[in-house]
Amino acid sequence: MNRILAASIRLSVCTLLLFACPLFAHKSQPAKIKAAAIEVEMIQSDEIKLPAEFQIALYENLIRQLHEQGFSQVYREGDGNAAGVTDLVVLHSTVRGLKEGSERARKVTTVAGATSIAVHCQFTRGDGTSLLERDVNGKVRFFGGNLKATNDFAKKAAKVAEESLSSNAGTQDIPWPAGF
Amino acid sequence: MKIGSRISFVAAVSLFAGLVISIASAEQVSKPVKVVQLTGLVGVKDNAKGTLSVDKGNLHFAHAKQTSDVTVASIEDVSTGADSQGAVGKTVSMAVPYGGGRFLALFRTKIDTLTVQYRDADGGLHGAIFTMPAGTAETIKQELVAQSAHTSVQQGPDAGTSPSVPSAGKEQ
Repeated sequence: MNRILAASIRLSVCTLLLFACPLFAHKSQPAKIKAAAIEVEMIQSDEIKLPAEFQIALYENLIRQLHEQGFSQVYREGDGNAAGVTDLVVLHSTVRGLKEGSERARKVTTVAGATSIAVHCQFTRGDGTSLLERDVNGKVRFFGGNLKATNDFAKKAAKVAEESLSSNAGTQDIPWPAGF
Repeated sequence: MKIGSRISFVAAVSLFAGLVISIASAEQVSKPVKVVQLTGLVGVKDNAKGTLSVDKGNLHFAHAKQTSDVTVASIEDVSTGADSQGAVGKTVSMAVPYGGGRFLALFRTKIDTLTVQYRDADGGLHGAIFTMPAGTAETIKQELVAQSAHTSVQQGPDAGTSPSVPSAGKEQ
């Protein structure tokens, strides 16, 4: 009888831990980085020669998607208005890989001809202090031209920014205490 | 003496003709080219169809009774590239039964791309992409360069990928 009781207690404890862990894990996420505005730098491609239309499409789509994610102050590279902004976050993007597929192959076969682009995104302060670094991919598998991959990248990069940055002035830049 | 005067006359005529031709080519206003503005012009919707020309120090895009100008002085880089697009519309292709749309997708037309990087009044960097009939982008680029627009590549299509990156079926 005692064995059954002990086993049921253990089972209850295990179940409790199983469900509680994700809750703690969620709470242990660091607070969002304070960002009153974002300045987007032109896309760089040191390692590979990127077609100019890809470079421009990545840059323009990224700015548009950041606006759509709710960032009200998005500055372009070189914009003089960004100079005096406190809590400015600068987004540097470097293309690390490009596999230029074929729209024709996608239409005809539906399985071949995918285009993919890999971009390393770095969020820094105005003085160059690194805040966050992520690798983001953009893909077009089935429908649309090759440039559609740039929009896919921009959506994902803007999502990363939305999850990591906060334009809310009340946001604390302090991580949660250990264990929570 | 006669031969000498003839030679000098021919030389004078040649010099005059050369001057006239050079002045005429310098002052020529480009013929508007039908283009699609994919993205990047301020106040213009993506995929807007219109005409593009270089006129009086401006890159001039006209569409739907509206115009958009980018001053040549603000242009930091102009480049051209080659691509292709479906010769048959997407809607038509999808409407063809028994997978015929896939067959139609094989038919593609060559197009040129023209990309322009320019600064706005605040110094913010913009980029615009245009597609146009094959063979026309280089002409517009040369006209912009002639009017002191900057370019990182002087002549020929600029698009390409590094040998280190496999270009899987680049559409030409």
